[in-house]
Amino acid sequence: MMAEAPQTKAISIKQLAMTFESIEGEKVEALHPVDLEIPAGQFVALVGPSGCGKSTILNILAGFLTPTEGQAMVGGEPIKKPSIDRGVVFQDYALFPWLNIIDNVAFGLERMGVGKKERNEIAAEYLSTVGLQDFARKKPSELSGGMKQRAAIARVFATDPSIILMDEPFGALDALTRRLLQHQLLEIWQKHKKTIIFVTHSVQEAVYLADRVLVMTARPGQIKLDNPVDLPYPREFTTKGFRDHEKLIYDVLDAELAKTFDLESKGRSSD
Amino acid sequence: MTLIRVTLPYLYASIAIIAVWQAVVTFTSAHVAILPPPALAAQTFIELVISGEIFTHIRASLSRVIAAWGLSALIAVPLGLAMGRWRRFENIVDPVVELFRPISPLAWIPLAILWFGISETGKIFIIFVATFFPILLNTVSGVKGVDKVLIRAGQVLGCEDEWSLFRKVILPASMPTIIVGFRIAFGTGWAAIIAAELVAAQSGLGYLIADGMEILRSDLVMVGMAVIGVLGVLIDSVFRIISKHYDWGT
Repeated sequence: MMAEAPQTKAISIKQLAMTFESIEGEKVEALHPVDLEIPAGQFVALVGPSGCGKSTILNILAGFLTPTEGQAMVGGEPIKKPSIDRGVVFQDYALFPWLNIIDNVAFGLERMGVGKKERNEIAAEYLSTVGLQDFARKKPSELSGGMKQRAAIARVFATDPSIILMDEPFGALDALTRRLLQHQLLEIWQKHKKTIIFVTHSVQEAVYLADRVLVMTARPGQIKLDNPVDLPYPREFTTKGFRDHEKLIYDVLDAELAKTFDLESKGRSSD
Repeated sequence: MTLIRVTLPYLYASIAIIAVWQAVVTFTSAHVAILPPPALAAQTFIELVISGEIFTHIRASLSRVIAAWGLSALIAVPLGLAMGRWRRFENIVDPVVELFRPISPLAWIPLAILWFGISETGKIFIIFVATFFPILLNTVSGVKGVDKVLIRAGQVLGCEDEWSLFRKVILPASMPTIIVGFRIAFGTGWAAIIAAELVAAQSGLGYLIADGMEILRSDLVMVGMAVIGVLGVLIDSVFRIISKHYDWGT
């Protein structure tokens, strides 16, 4: 199983839109119709303020949400429901607390029908990739936040999905742990070349990791900037190239922020 | 060492209860038929142990509670899982449950006699009523309390149909709450043996108490009460040990 070339697929989004209805019956446009083509193996970061629809796109790709309009396709197939072929890394880890770490990592393999011996070998291999080989028999509650997220990353790569969706995976971690995990993620990605969609609040994180950064803005959620990052890995925060990309992204975000403030102050004065 | 640490508070409590009991007997000079001194109750207890009679009563009561409790678990757990998972099903079943829940097991005694006569079934039925609701309600709240993100994680890790999601995620995730239901239910069932054994029983701790009352042997009543109390604590501690196994410390 490990000998086979890791699989990866392209993502194609056409006129994808999502409108929620609030409790008062008011329609909220969470996602303005979006078109997006992501080639196989690309690492895409989605950045933007809360409510810009970046998590909505991720949840539609995972199959958790059904869009109100348009279509999202993976490898030419429309997305209908959650699938083991599209792995997800959640912000709050989502490890199964009743299973020890190695059984968590082997969970998906067991569902795929991989035998016990083989799945334990694969799980052990991915655990050592993220440096958790000594914690295989521990319960998730015995691990720190950073270690839990490393286990979750091992779990998602172990089943060899075509695409990996990551929803602010490092958002709850301290700066140093975050740096370590970013580094490990890049290492695994460079080895397996999966298509990754990575949602984050941090512009720096987006530029550090992704080879393409999509900047989203709210009300309604839409893509305001599609910025390829052509810097070689490993990247340095302090280089001019890095700073230029950050500035480009912040300019778009700041313009949007100014508009939002403007709207809010106008709204207040008319009260 | 831990055994000593755990049992010591109960030992102190027992000494305190017996001391108060003795004090009341001494200061009120109560008639032996109204409140027998602890020493007399102890003597009666030892006699019942030597004759083996107490064990017959314990076995009778315990097997009734276990049968009723097991039956409750068999029905209440699947029902609770379905109610917790499917809102529409819950909306239909919950009002029925809520209408029956306030009716005490005691209130079922007449119907139990009419339906099942003085057989063992009637007694088990009454304890069943006492054990059913704690298991059901805890199962429902256990399922509802399963973190939505764990369900999503299960879905993207190969639990693509509802059944495998149930088996691999929802059931294990709600297990600690269900175990609490088992524990509470055993407690309420154990407390209901008096009600159950009022239905023409020939044995059991409830019978011992009812019989003691009829023949004015309050020492027998006290022994029956004490044995129910002590065994209740012992059974509960067994459940505590089991539930620790399911406590994954989130």
